[in-house]
Amino acid sequence: MDPSSGIQEPFDLIRLSLSERVFVKLRGDRELTGILHAYDGHMNLILSDVEETIMIVDVEGAPDGRGTVNVAKRKMEMLFVRGDGVILVSPPSRT
Amino acid sequence: MYSRLHARFCLGKMLVILRDGRKLHGVLRSYDQFANLVLEDTVERIYHGNAFAENWRGLYLIRGENVVLLGEIDLDQEDDIPLRQVDWNVLEPYHKSDIEAKKQREESKAQILYEKKGFCKEGGEGDGY
Amino acid sequence: MLIFSVFKTLTDQQVTVELKNDLSITGILKSVDQFLNIRLDNIKVSDEARHPHMMAVKNCFIRGSVVRYVQISAENVDTQLLEDATRREALNQNVYLDAEYKLESREWRLPSGIG
Repeated sequence: MDPSSGIQEPFDLIRLSLSERVFVKLRGDRELTGILHAYDGHMNLILSDVEETIMIVDVEGAPDGRGTVNVAKRKMEMLFVRGDGVILVSPPSRT
Repeated sequence: MYSRLHARFCLGKMLVILRDGRKLHGVLRSYDQFANLVLEDTVERIYHGNAFAENWRGLYLIRGENVVLLGEIDLDQEDDIPLRQVDWNVLEPYHKSDIEAKKQREESKAQILYEKKGFCKEGGEGDGY
Repeated sequence: MLIFSVFKTLTDQQVTVELKNDLSITGILKSVDQFLNIRLDNIKVSDEARHPHMMAVKNCFIRGSVVRYVQISAENVDTQLLEDATRREALNQNVYLDAEYKLESREWRLPSGIG
């Protein structure tokens, strides 16, 4: 692999996202965006200025699995995220 | 490190919440680095509305990975709790239907989110507590 | 180890631990261990009506593996320090991987040299 790119292993992508806003998809129907300040090999994360998006499904009155999906949002100033719940981490798009 | 963590936890009545949602009350007799616990005079408690019920379970050794939370029960506060104790046999059907309803809700929610939003289905991994 | 160190600096501060079963507990962080098991004192459960079994509990031990989030107050964290420490730890990890890699490639060369 090209060493000049600075990316040789998956965690390098997270390292290069330090102090930038990242998108994190989690188990349990949740998504986060926040500024990444720390991580470790378990993909435990510490984020600040976090906005969490929770998927809320209206199951009632909607038979045959046709419930509607709503989202709830909340903000947290500093958050530790346990790595075992992380599905993916996506760095900011550099356009 | 672990023993220091538990040091103050050795006497008195404790609440243990397990990953399957069970609530156990008992006297903590022993523990180790994995949070394996020995609980004596254990009772299981169920709740519905403002009622609770107890069922005798006896002596338990609980494998640590099933433990969610271990709480010290404040006996003074326990007397002030605005719940009434009822017979286990009376409350159990309500408790069971609560669990069943929750399970149904979560299954259909997971199915919908799986189809519409690409979230993985949970369950099957013992995360149902 | 990095995250463990961060939590150690947060002892005696108020934190909110959110579990994977949606139980949310605010309390004073009394101790933490290498597995990120947490001890909270003076706890308050949000939406207590939904969790009546927690009403008489004042102090608790939470197994690290059931934690989803820990909410921390931002003023207790030096983010610059955190990022530097994270880069340092990542670097050490890479040095270790590098050594492993070199070891592997030497072993790979050995049989071909013999041949």
